[in-house]
Amino acid sequence: MDKIKQNPIVKKLGFNRIVLVFVILLMYTLFCVATGGNFAGLPRILSALNYAYFLGFLSLGVTFVIATGGIDFSIGPVMFCAALISGYSLTSLGVPMGLALLISVFVGFCFGLFNGYLVAYWSVPPFIVSMASMNIAKGVASVFTKTQSVSWPQLAAGGWFRQLVKIGNFPVGLVIFVLVAIVCALLLNKTKPGRYILCLGSNREAVRLSGVNTKKWEMLAYVICGVLVGIAAIFFVGAYTTVQPGYGDQYNNEAIAGCVMGGTSMAGGLASISGTVIGVFIIALLQEGILALGFTKDYQLIITGIIVIVAVYADVVARRRKN
Amino acid sequence: MAGDLKKKSIFAKLGGQKFIVLLVVIVLFTFFSIASQDFRKYTTVLNIFDFSYYIVLMAIGVTFPLITGGVDLSIGTGLICYSLAGGYLVVHLGWPTGLGLLVSVLFGILIGFANGVLIAVMGLPPFLATLCTCMITRGLGSICSKGFGISWPTTGAPGSWFRSIFKMQIGGTKIPIGFIWILIIVAIMAFVLNHTKIGRYTIAIGSNKEAAVLSGINVKFYHIMAYVISGFFAGLASIAYAAVFPTVQPGTGAGFELEAIGGAIIGGVSATGGAGSIEGTLIGVFVICLLKTGLPFVGLQANWQQIITGLVLIAAVLVDIIKKRREAK
Amino acid sequence: MGEVILTMNDIDKSFPGVHALDHVHFDVNRGEVHALMGENGAGKSTLMKVLTGIYTKDSGTIEFEGKEVEFHNAREAQDAGVVIVHQELNMVGHLTVAQNIFIGREFKKGFRIDDKKMNEEAAKLFKRLNIDIDPTATMSDLTVGKQQMCEIAKAISHEAKVIVFDEPSAALTESEIAELFKIIRDLREQQLGIVYISHRMDEIKVITDRVTVMRDGGYVGTLITKDCTKDDIINMMVGRVIYEEPKTKSLVPDDAPVVLKVEHLNAGKMVRDVSFELRKGEILGFSGLMGAGRTETARAIFGADPKESGDIYINGKKVEINSPEDAVKNGIGYLSEDRKRFGIVVQKTIAENSTLATLEKYMKGIFINKKKENEVTQKYVDSLATKTPSIDQLVVNLSGGNQQKVVIAKWLVRDSEILIFDEPTRGIDVGAKNEIYKLMNRLAAEGKSIIMISSEMTEILRMSDRIIVMCEGKVTGEIGIEEVSQEKIMNMATREIS
Repeated sequence: MDKIKQNPIVKKLGFNRIVLVFVILLMYTLFCVATGGNFAGLPRILSALNYAYFLGFLSLGVTFVIATGGIDFSIGPVMFCAALISGYSLTSLGVPMGLALLISVFVGFCFGLFNGYLVAYWSVPPFIVSMASMNIAKGVASVFTKTQSVSWPQLAAGGWFRQLVKIGNFPVGLVIFVLVAIVCALLLNKTKPGRYILCLGSNREAVRLSGVNTKKWEMLAYVICGVLVGIAAIFFVGAYTTVQPGYGDQYNNEAIAGCVMGGTSMAGGLASISGTVIGVFIIALLQEGILALGFTKDYQLIITGIIVIVAVYADVVARRRKN
Repeated sequence: MAGDLKKKSIFAKLGGQKFIVLLVVIVLFTFFSIASQDFRKYTTVLNIFDFSYYIVLMAIGVTFPLITGGVDLSIGTGLICYSLAGGYLVVHLGWPTGLGLLVSVLFGILIGFANGVLIAVMGLPPFLATLCTCMITRGLGSICSKGFGISWPTTGAPGSWFRSIFKMQIGGTKIPIGFIWILIIVAIMAFVLNHTKIGRYTIAIGSNKEAAVLSGINVKFYHIMAYVISGFFAGLASIAYAAVFPTVQPGTGAGFELEAIGGAIIGGVSATGGAGSIEGTLIGVFVICLLKTGLPFVGLQANWQQIITGLVLIAAVLVDIIKKRREAK
Repeated sequence: MGEVILTMNDIDKSFPGVHALDHVHFDVNRGEVHALMGENGAGKSTLMKVLTGIYTKDSGTIEFEGKEVEFHNAREAQDAGVVIVHQELNMVGHLTVAQNIFIGREFKKGFRIDDKKMNEEAAKLFKRLNIDIDPTATMSDLTVGKQQMCEIAKAISHEAKVIVFDEPSAALTESEIAELFKIIRDLREQQLGIVYISHRMDEIKVITDRVTVMRDGGYVGTLITKDCTKDDIINMMVGRVIYEEPKTKSLVPDDAPVVLKVEHLNAGKMVRDVSFELRKGEILGFSGLMGAGRTETARAIFGADPKESGDIYINGKKVEINSPEDAVKNGIGYLSEDRKRFGIVVQKTIAENSTLATLEKYMKGIFINKKKENEVTQKYVDSLATKTPSIDQLVVNLSGGNQQKVVIAKWLVRDSEILIFDEPTRGIDVGAKNEIYKLMNRLAAEGKSIIMISSEMTEILRMSDRIIVMCEGKVTGEIGIEEVSQEKIMNMATREIS
């Protein structure tokens, strides 16, 4: 085992990530066998991808926040809020499509700024901020849309944004998601903000005493998260068309699950974008697989919950062993 | 004798934050009464009480994890889950009502215990562990009731006695006797918090865990107990919820925890642990309940209440933080 | 003075690489206050930890009330009647005084905790000790001094027969110390054995009956307090052979300009009206006992903690420093005494740590210029002779000395002109120590100006061009290396301040 881990190629790719990829393949095979080959068809794969896009953006976003040692579980409702406000602007206020998409991103940005400011500059515990934001997002969305659900236009009715998700059967969304993930990876590992975010997540005081404005960079992590949540909203409606006010909580857990499965530590300072991407695909495949096996959405909730617990506990144990 | 104490202000002597919050409750009530004729009706008051019971009960329970410096996010969806599980047994399997209610409460205790183990023994962050059980109970509730809503026996039907626990009809008038139970429970839990080992060590864990360990206290046990209490009260809240609402719907319940936790924090429970009181929590919850019932009367849709609750929660925590920063100087 | 109550005979204890206790002897009589003295690191705390079972001794015996004993933890010692009043307080701030004193062993009446009885018992205890504290007051409302008294009361409530006070006066005011002494005298009257650890020479003279001095983990001797002078004690404390050559002459040219001037700096209780100058190429030693306010002064200058008043001039120009960010921009670098918490990000690589303060210089557009970063890291790994397989090594895997070099590299990469070394060789083994010393001398010769805070006398004497001594947050002396002696420094560091 150790010998495999020391192999330079394995080291470069990351042992855990390789294992996770095998998990994906194994899960896929299992689902195919269990559903009598039903799962192997293109519709299922496209459906799983649809799920992976918006979840992926949420997960990428929350990876930055968790890297600082914080948490944001307002992301699901904020995504719905962004989709509702922009969608309502589009369908009922006559805002052009392009602008509506920008509004979505802007709504995400605003919530990120709000959360980040309170956490970084006022030291409000992140879980309190998340809880408040989650409800504010739901309330704002309901008030704005007068508690109506919003349906985004189909492709034929001028909904060109759907081509961001797919053209014919070609998964444009996958290309965009991978591109954004690469940008995130570069941002986190190759730029100054990313370096500071990771370092302050690991040892805030040492970074501050190196003359770095830690508050600013901590807030930035939440802002990045917010923007990605705004993008997630676009891909959500691109795949599922209709959004209802008052929902979105369950995606918090799934996004965090993707993140911690990929090896990002809840204690902060350690984060892997590629890990998050793989984690997201596992979660998306799992959700799709559970449905394909004939279980209801309820089982998705339970299984995701258990996965997060196990993944976080593994991280806790690993850290205890190191100390 | 008290010459060595830092001087206490009159404000502190009156119970500090609790006193101010009580004033807020009175001001809010007066404001709504003046602003809206309909608000002044007896039925409105009845409604405020009806809709407050389950939140108050959750809030009393969650006060304990909050004082340890943790949080329990699973109480909202948990409440619905317990009520669905108990209700299914009563409505569909013909169990006696009492037994169904007992199952609800036991279910709550079980989930509370699970939270406690995840946090105190396995060392998971409280918000994350309970966020997971929040989702898990949401799924479980729906599975228990096979995805359908559960209507506990309606008033008058056999086995509906539990509905009159909270509201009694004497002559032509309905009396909100539930509030009396609430006051009794508040008194009991205030006793538990202030005069028993469970309460004392809950405070010690939130204030200075290291000191608690060094004093030879079985910290893990008492840490778990805080979450068991929270689960137990979520179970009780599920009874109150079933007694007030005709139907319990699976998939709901998210957001209840904010009202309970918000109420507790407004009532003076410190968001960073160590301090809090049950009386304060009770008063804090009434701020939330008044806003919830009152806002529609002044022309704001119910959804505004969500936004305002969120902002009030942040404001309450900020007040606490600013106060501490001042003291540190 | 009564008969012997506690005897520690021939106690020996080693940690990897350190002979912490070298066949130490110590005893206490009933109705006696026995001072345990020595410089920082002389082994006083280790000896007391062996006594109360926190450390296991390698050899030797402990006799308590005529029987040989061995405690396995603080609880066992407590139950037998041997308690320590620690320097750090261990109190639950949100509970009352009485609740704290009896925590973990509350009186009960059925389910109910009998707070009334606890308050009465606490009141009795305070009466016995002659302390005026309200048992129902909330602990966090009390002053630090009163909290200390509560710790003492808690210790005594365990039916203590021997009480060890570990620097109890460090956080107390004059009047609180007077009150503490009153209590200690009362306890002596009641025939308890008392061990009193302190650095303050004047207190020792006032309160103790005997003094035992330790040095470098060994037993030096025991004196009757009233028969000896302060100088006798100091001589015993410092009278060690110094292996390293002390500096004899300042290496700073007479015309070296002043680079840093601090005037009337005030910050909290530990920094009171501190003024000094630092010249170019100088190593300015900051000496004093633990808790003298040296680290606090450094942190206030560096902007890490808020300051109340005072001016800082760099190269003659007044500067505003309100955060570490400002300090770093003004060319100051700070090497904390607690590397792991404040100095390095242990889970990151050497390269990442080296450029932490200077990242903007190593950018190519928006990206970090990894090549340049690696080059500069390699340069300093080479020039500081940091021992590591590669610059991508996580800092957590390095030894203490090499971690310190990484921190130094961080500030050298930044080209900081003024470096504050806070206990630069703490936790570093002897060989690496010499390297750090050489490095500091080299830096000074290259024109960097260094403030070196150190609790090790030999380090101060070996490295400094000039020495500033602090005591209780104030500067109590300044002395050139030419006329310095250990005794002079120790006198200044224990100087009574009214």
